[in-house]
Amino acid sequence: MSWRGHLIVGLLSLAIAVALPFVFNINYLVTQVTLAFIYGTVVTQWNLVYGVAGIFSLAQMALFAVGAYAAAMLGFYFGWSLWIAMPVAALITVVVSVLIGLACLRLRGPYVALLTLAIAQVLYLVIVNDTDCYTTEGSGCLPFFGGVRGLTRFGELGFREWLGEDWRLGNYFVALALLALALIFSAVIMRGPLGLAFRALRDNPGLARSRGISRFKYQIWVFALSAFFTGLAGAFYAANYESIGPTVFSFSLLLFLIAMMTVGGIGTLWGPLLGAILLMGTDEVLRDYQEWRDIGLGLLLVFFVILLPQGLVGLINWRRERVD
Amino acid sequence: MTQTAAGQPLLEVTAVTKSFGALVAVNGLSFNLNEGEVLGIGGPNGAGKTTLFEVISGLSPATSGSVRFAGEDITRLSAEAICHAGIARTFQLNAAFDSLSVRENVEVAAQFGRANRAVPGLRLDRCTRASVDAALEITGLIERQRRIAAKLPVIDRKLLMIAGALATEPRLVLMDEPVGGLTPGETDRIVHLVERLRAEGRSIIMIEHVMRFLVQLSDRVLILHHGEKIYEGVPRGLVQDAQVVDVFLGQGASRRLASYLEGRA
Ligand SMILES: Nc1ncnc2c1ncn2[C@@H]1O[C@H](COP(=O)(O)OP(=O)(O)OP(=O)(O)O)[C@@H](O)[C@H]1O
Ligand SMILES: [Mg+2]
Repeated sequence: MSWRGHLIVGLLSLAIAVALPFVFNINYLVTQVTLAFIYGTVVTQWNLVYGVAGIFSLAQMALFAVGAYAAAMLGFYFGWSLWIAMPVAALITVVVSVLIGLACLRLRGPYVALLTLAIAQVLYLVIVNDTDCYTTEGSGCLPFFGGVRGLTRFGELGFREWLGEDWRLGNYFVALALLALALIFSAVIMRGPLGLAFRALRDNPGLARSRGISRFKYQIWVFALSAFFTGLAGAFYAANYESIGPTVFSFSLLLFLIAMMTVGGIGTLWGPLLGAILLMGTDEVLRDYQEWRDIGLGLLLVFFVILLPQGLVGLINWRRERVD
Repeated sequence: MTQTAAGQPLLEVTAVTKSFGALVAVNGLSFNLNEGEVLGIGGPNGAGKTTLFEVISGLSPATSGSVRFAGEDITRLSAEAICHAGIARTFQLNAAFDSLSVRENVEVAAQFGRANRAVPGLRLDRCTRASVDAALEITGLIERQRRIAAKLPVIDRKLLMIAGALATEPRLVLMDEPVGGLTPGETDRIVHLVERLRAEGRSIIMIEHVMRFLVQLSDRVLILHHGEKIYEGVPRGLVQDAQVVDVFLGQGASRRLASYLEGRA
């Protein structure tokens, strides 16, 4: 698609997203779409690593958690305003992601998945296994990272005071802005020289090296760049719910986000976002069949991986090519 | 770019050995290449020709020995540093960035292959685009620049590899079997291209099984056998060399090649 095509799709989607909460001013809808925007932000960035650079990293939800916990802890322990804590948390996430990228440098394919999953698991265990009271102020015994219960009362974004009843709309539009920026960010990367380098390394690492691309350098770049908005999304997630707990590490959530990318179209600009919206919607419709959720997600993944590995956007592109 | 001193070879390969476990693929090989020279490399399957390219281009460093390029020791440099130093290669197995378009394939080479970049930048500069256009033009791929590499026919994949190599603005081009698997008509297109590069004064080393192609375009020929040099000299001398005829050309092919050489003389 041309830049113009992307711009038109983008503006149309933006218009719909802006109008949505005014057309259907239902609290539940606003909250769920806000969450869809957050996940959409995560998958558009994860897509840079997994889809564009072809590195099968499963660290993205751990990075999301790093952003969330960093913001919450800066608010909780230092009393920072979340508006400052969120970007700082995003930068912390970038640092953590670079370290993970370094750890993965010598690994390929499934080994990257294994290592990143192990790192996520270690972070999770550090949080839930720590039961020593770091502080006993307020609500009694609280471990440093909040333990299984997580952290609360680390501040909020201040929309209640400003918008009263409509405070959820404040969060909604922050999430929308976050998503829009994340999408523009990944579009610029995908279309620019960095995207070329990432895709070249994905398609043929040996040839890429022979054409002057250092795997070391660009792997670090992609881990760094994809982490910023992921961390910011995590930080905003904590701010949005005014609480954060170890459930963000759940395997089911990881699977949910991978399914979003796979269904929408890995490596494409709009695919992951389309997948996020579709899966959030489907999840809503099938709320009454919760016990089937993970099985359903698994089957959906199997279906797409085997029959439609390019996802829905890939299917659209393929049909368009046939017509041309 | 450093200038080679007068009389100093552009490439000096000295006593290079490459072993894979017990297998010695290249064995104590030495040769030089002067600026502007075209060197053809031949030899039976498994002789170590491709392995030699892997060593020179840094994808698989030498076990021992040294490679000097433009007066600089490049034996232990990374593949990307060797590309930046000015050596660009093609691959026997028609390598490409399959999901990228023809143009993007060449853009990768022009953007990242010419020199090391500290920061990647947000868009391709004018210099890069000019380099891409020139490489697409000379290889005749400019009309097909929007095609996806995976869907190209073999000849275009070969041309694309050469275009990529040229877009890095190299001082030395290494071509691994540029006409392997092509029809005679397609081979002619590559012949014209190499002739043109040669006329521009480029330094080239090419590996090829098609001996006519090799003798037609090379200033000098080197024949490898079991990782060792069994012949180095002018193309005409090949058919008179008993060992080359024996282990590589065979009597029949050698006679045909001799009459071909006579026809050209
Ligand atoms: N990575 C590797 N590991 C182990 N052995 C290898 C490797 N690469 C090449 N070889 C072996 O080294 C020898 C030389 O191989 P090479 O590919 O250099 O031959 P070649 O002269 O290019 O042959 P061809 O004309 O068939 O392309 C062969 O015996 C090959 O099996
Ligand atoms: Mg070979």
